[in-house]
Amino acid sequence: MSKFDSRLRAALVAFLVAALPAAGAQERGVTDTSIKIGALGPFTGKAALFNPLNYGSIAYMRYVNDMGGVWGRKFDIVLGDSACAEAKGIAAAKKLIFDDQAFMILGNPCSGVAMAIKPTLIQENVVWSGVSANPRIDGSVGSGGDGPPPKYMFHTTPNGYFSGLTMGKFMMTKPGAKRIAFVAHTNDWARGYCDPAKEYIEANGGEVVLDTAMERGSTDATAQVLQIKAQNVDGILGCLYQPELVVLLKDAHKYQLGVPVIGALGADFGQTVQQVGNPDAVNGVFFQGHLYKDKIGAPSLEWARQILVKYLTKDELPSDGEPTHFYYFGMFNGIGVVEGFRRAGRELTRDTYIKAVETLNDFDTNLGAGRVTITADQHIGVSNMFFNGLDEKGNEVIFTAYGKPLH
Amino acid sequence: MLALLPQLLVSGIAIGMLYALIALSMTILYRATTVVNFGHGDLVMVAAYLLTIFAVNATLPFVPALLLSVAVLFAFGFLLHRAFIWPIIRGPHLSLAMMAIAVGYSVRGLVRLEYGQEAVRMPRPFAEKIFFVNNVVITLDEIAFCVVVLVMLVASYVVFSKTRFGRIVQAMFQTQRGASLVGINVMQYNNVIWGVGCALGALGGVLLGLILILDPDVGAWTLLRGFAAMTLGGFGSLHGAVVGGLLIGVLEKVLGTYVSTAFIDITCYLVIIVVLLIRPRGLFGQHATLRV
Repeated sequence: MSKFDSRLRAALVAFLVAALPAAGAQERGVTDTSIKIGALGPFTGKAALFNPLNYGSIAYMRYVNDMGGVWGRKFDIVLGDSACAEAKGIAAAKKLIFDDQAFMILGNPCSGVAMAIKPTLIQENVVWSGVSANPRIDGSVGSGGDGPPPKYMFHTTPNGYFSGLTMGKFMMTKPGAKRIAFVAHTNDWARGYCDPAKEYIEANGGEVVLDTAMERGSTDATAQVLQIKAQNVDGILGCLYQPELVVLLKDAHKYQLGVPVIGALGADFGQTVQQVGNPDAVNGVFFQGHLYKDKIGAPSLEWARQILVKYLTKDELPSDGEPTHFYYFGMFNGIGVVEGFRRAGRELTRDTYIKAVETLNDFDTNLGAGRVTITADQHIGVSNMFFNGLDEKGNEVIFTAYGKPLH
Repeated sequence: MLALLPQLLVSGIAIGMLYALIALSMTILYRATTVVNFGHGDLVMVAAYLLTIFAVNATLPFVPALLLSVAVLFAFGFLLHRAFIWPIIRGPHLSLAMMAIAVGYSVRGLVRLEYGQEAVRMPRPFAEKIFFVNNVVITLDEIAFCVVVLVMLVASYVVFSKTRFGRIVQAMFQTQRGASLVGINVMQYNNVIWGVGCALGALGGVLLGLILILDPDVGAWTLLRGFAAMTLGGFGSLHGAVVGGLLIGVLEKVLGTYVSTAFIDITCYLVIIVVLLIRPRGLFGQHATLRV
């Protein structure tokens, strides 16, 4: 045996010894035929109205499974109930990570829960793709955070920073808009929307003349509305969850405010309109960020509706069987997440996955108003959206700016 | 900002009427057994859901659905006392309070099983309407609150002051043992009074459903306001419950607008603290042992 051969043999042996443990180690939640996904969300409790944000992603993954999966693997989805409460969310996330060995935590509406589980996610290097809004979850410089994004955490949808920014932009496209009022919950979630909106408004010649609080569970907005009325404002930004947004819209109508109310994404547009129950209180008055390329129910989004209706059970859909906006929001996230798996290839690890996600550049979900771009420095995929509203006859209209319909 | 005061007073009185009705129904229960029903808010919430089920699922017209809801809540109150309260009526006060809370939470959990994922809008008997009186806004709902509560207050006054039934209830309120010694079937009367209290609460729940989207937790909001109104008005006083409700309604609006919106949610707690410290009997309360 030549000296060269013996050196080669020694190198080969050393390589094999070094490589053996790596070959034997299995990435958490990944087998030859499956990828375990932990869908964390409020499946019970009073915040359960947000669970369509999970079910939208789940429906899309079931559809992908039905089509054969990704690189020979199918999604094995395990639900974790956070009930939108921090303590319960931490327990549910730990079960998903340590007991169920989930590769990824998906969905996670409720910013409080996302912030509470973030240290565990970072410590355990768990991949997370959520829809919760607080910019401090995975925002970086330029998207509401103050440093680089957490390595394995990302949004394929906008976070509160970009949603708030677009709310401010939309408000300021109203001709003559100067004096703006905010009505917001006193929590990080609401400030995540209202603060960037305020920055934009003030940088563009507007003034936030009133920033008043409305607590969770409020059943009356008389005080807020009368304060606003006394300020003679041009518009209102409501950084509120759905139940309180409904109360604000009803009282704004009752006291004849007559100015537009721009809602945050913590409310489902269709359900809000339905729950206000009075066309005069919403037609031409209520607007909300719209993530999709057209209105829900448009022929171009029928494919998404078909998936939602086919792959969700009766219990997972609303009682009338018709998916609401939140389901499409969840599906938006699901499409981005699945695309990451497609790009990661067969050799799936959390590192190959996040690298693949960071190649999403101007990615068209065929659903969203905005395209998804994620880089190593910026883990928030979408920064713009359309706005949804109702014309004077109650027909849903998608706007690119105030008074400018998409079609 | 002072120009807002007439509006705040009108809106405060209107919502205060609703608080008053809840407090009135809790006071009636209290007069029977000197127990504060801490599960009352959940029964109020159930009434609004029941009406929705009767009107939407069973397609009954509003009035029959309302009557049926009130009847179901009467039966529920009757059975609640007979099956859960009466067997432990001689036990520690804390046990009675815990039983009431446990029943309330159980009811809330059952409602959540069916309606936990969606907020429900109760059907309305009339369209929403707004009237202006010298720039002050008043809604048809608010007028309905005032009419219903005033009618119920007068009816309660007549029943509890002018009838034999009312005198018996008053006797039981003074001393249950004494009442039973003179031959009054205390258990049966208490069953009926709990039924009546819950039926009145049902009316409150239906009024609540006119202005709120229903969710299983709406009862907690109701209970706090009702309890604060009862505390302010004086435990056991029917007119005190109404005055307490009105005052809390107005205070919430005025403090919430002029001081801080944070006062909207804490006014009822502040009222409870202040009244219990300064005048535990409340404005019109009678001396009686409070069993909580």
